[in-house]
Amino acid sequence: MRFISQIASNQRVNRLLLVLAVELFLFAPVCGVQFSSFGAFQSSFASLISDLLAQAAPMIVLSVGMTLVLMTGGIDLSIGAMVALIAAVMARIDVDYALWSTAVPIGLLCGLALGFFNGTLIARLDVPPIIATLGTLFLFRGFCEILLEGQEYGQFLDVPSYRWFGTPSGGLLLVGVILGLGGLWFSFSRVRRELLMLGGNRVAARYAGIPVFRRIVQVYTLMGGLAFVAAVCLTARNGSVSASSFSGMELQVIVAVVLGGTRVEGGNGSLVGSAIGVLMIAVLAEGLRGASMFHSDLLPFKIQYLEYVLMGGLLIWGVWMNRQVGGQDASH
Amino acid sequence: MIEESNFVRRHWFHDLLSQPFYGRNAASIRQRILFLLIGNCVLLGFIYARSIQTEGVSFLSEVALIPVALAPVVIAGLGLTGIIYAGGIDLSISTIIVVAGTVFGILFHNQASPAVCFAGCFLTAVALSSFNGLLVRLLRISPIIVTLAGLQFYRGLALILADWSIPNFGGSLTVQADAYQTPAQQYAWQILAVTVVVSLIWEAYGKTHRKFLALGCSREACRIAGLHPDRITQTSYTVGGLFLGIAALLFVTNQQVIEPARMAQGFELKVIAAVVLGGTNIFGGEGSMLGTVLGALFLYLIEPAMIYAGVSEYYRTAIPGFMIVAVISIDCALHRRQKLLDELR
Repeated sequence: MRFISQIASNQRVNRLLLVLAVELFLFAPVCGVQFSSFGAFQSSFASLISDLLAQAAPMIVLSVGMTLVLMTGGIDLSIGAMVALIAAVMARIDVDYALWSTAVPIGLLCGLALGFFNGTLIARLDVPPIIATLGTLFLFRGFCEILLEGQEYGQFLDVPSYRWFGTPSGGLLLVGVILGLGGLWFSFSRVRRELLMLGGNRVAARYAGIPVFRRIVQVYTLMGGLAFVAAVCLTARNGSVSASSFSGMELQVIVAVVLGGTRVEGGNGSLVGSAIGVLMIAVLAEGLRGASMFHSDLLPFKIQYLEYVLMGGLLIWGVWMNRQVGGQDASH
Repeated sequence: MIEESNFVRRHWFHDLLSQPFYGRNAASIRQRILFLLIGNCVLLGFIYARSIQTEGVSFLSEVALIPVALAPVVIAGLGLTGIIYAGGIDLSISTIIVVAGTVFGILFHNQASPAVCFAGCFLTAVALSSFNGLLVRLLRISPIIVTLAGLQFYRGLALILADWSIPNFGGSLTVQADAYQTPAQQYAWQILAVTVVVSLIWEAYGKTHRKFLALGCSREACRIAGLHPDRITQTSYTVGGLFLGIAALLFVTNQQVIEPARMAQGFELKVIAAVVLGGTNIFGGEGSMLGTVLGALFLYLIEPAMIYAGVSEYYRTAIPGFMIVAVISIDCALHRRQKLLDELR
């Protein structure tokens, strides 16, 4: 229970939750939640929440990995391409009869290997993370194109049990296991403190006897594994993959994580905050979608275009808020 | 005698060309420039050898295609090199180009003259890049974050601008008039050559880029030496904006259709890849514009070389990606030991 009380006493998480609640309150009427009677409210609100969960589940999974990566002072720009490549590998294996026995284990191995490759470049060869993952972004996208040869593969939905992972309950299970159990273990483990120290001051961490390079490789490998989970979630929902799918996802995840209070310079980070950040963005997107459907003549332009503007504005605002809380040292 | 020997005039080639453009750089950058020079020569030689064997293709027509495709990347890269020198970065260049293109399209739609359209496009890019600098300076947030936000924000801005000012906006603006496409269609060579030569001379003999490099090396030292770090940051983004304005002009006028939602996606990654491949340190304080030009040319030449080598078109992204990863990781691995020792000192 210390975990819960820690979260409850964390000012930043509380503030984020408050913002999320306000956002939900503002957008709920626009998203089609009815206030006519309690029963109608309950059912429409539940459907909104399950919609949100199904959408946000893969992003929350990715944000867990990205939070750890940012904690160590790194960044991973290749996750969108990584998710697409894992999905492409799984799609090229004949899914019809052997999804669970071949495609899924191979996908997991592929994800871990890609993450390990990133980690090796960054830790063992000392390539700056932003450059290494920028290069592997091109590389992984290129592999996607080679594998898929310009076609779109979409036989994921032929397997009924696989489709379950795209539903709200499947997403909830994955998020529960990864964020709930994994996050609970992580918040008590020594690894968390090691990663924080490593991100704060790498040299000091080396002197303190932390296996810096091994930890970095582990973090990026974990990111690869989580990219596999996200790939399962996304393909179970979309049903297909093409060479250009999931592009720009890395930026959305980074926006969400930074919004949740993690500093890009490293040495700071919160998994719960990141999950709330993802939800904030999901609520925003859902609200704008609802608004453009039901109140399209409110503004002189299409309302869904506001999503980009609000995402950018939110990111700056979130970082600015973190900086105020963090004190003066945050800028340098 | 020793003092005298410092001022010995060597050959003019050394004093005016070799030293300011090449010799003044750090050893790692000199190696990179040499590597890229040789690589570009090899690729060009390969294309030449293949093109004289192939019927109906001339080497010169292949070379004449280079500037139109390459100019936006090179020119935006020159601007970004200056920004990265100063320890900043701009991830939002692609969407700044989108806003500039949208302004261009809107002006065209309202039947403005070509000159007005070009000026609007150029000035929009300069203004937005300067605005990025202003935000970095005032908010004191790391430039990656500010421009990451800009990457989202400006695309939305472009869409809203287009939707607001053009009735029945269907997602794209068509610009089909030769007068409006002269910069890219007719003068790409000249604009590219002039911009590259001017910026290389400016970098070699001017003071501005040395201030950027100083700021990238150490902000604190910069302040103690009496320079204004904030002002230099602002200058780097504004100067970068001037280059970006030209790049935007060339990018936009090369296209018949302007689609704010999808235009220039991934352009910023291409430009950053060219800058980094050119040997510029992504954390600032080290680099060369010559490297950026050669890096962009190298990444471009891989593509026709692959076509002539008969590689399947699906390898188009993977091979440049592999080249970026291989070149940079070998380079980093070679300097790793020294860097780790420096870190522990």
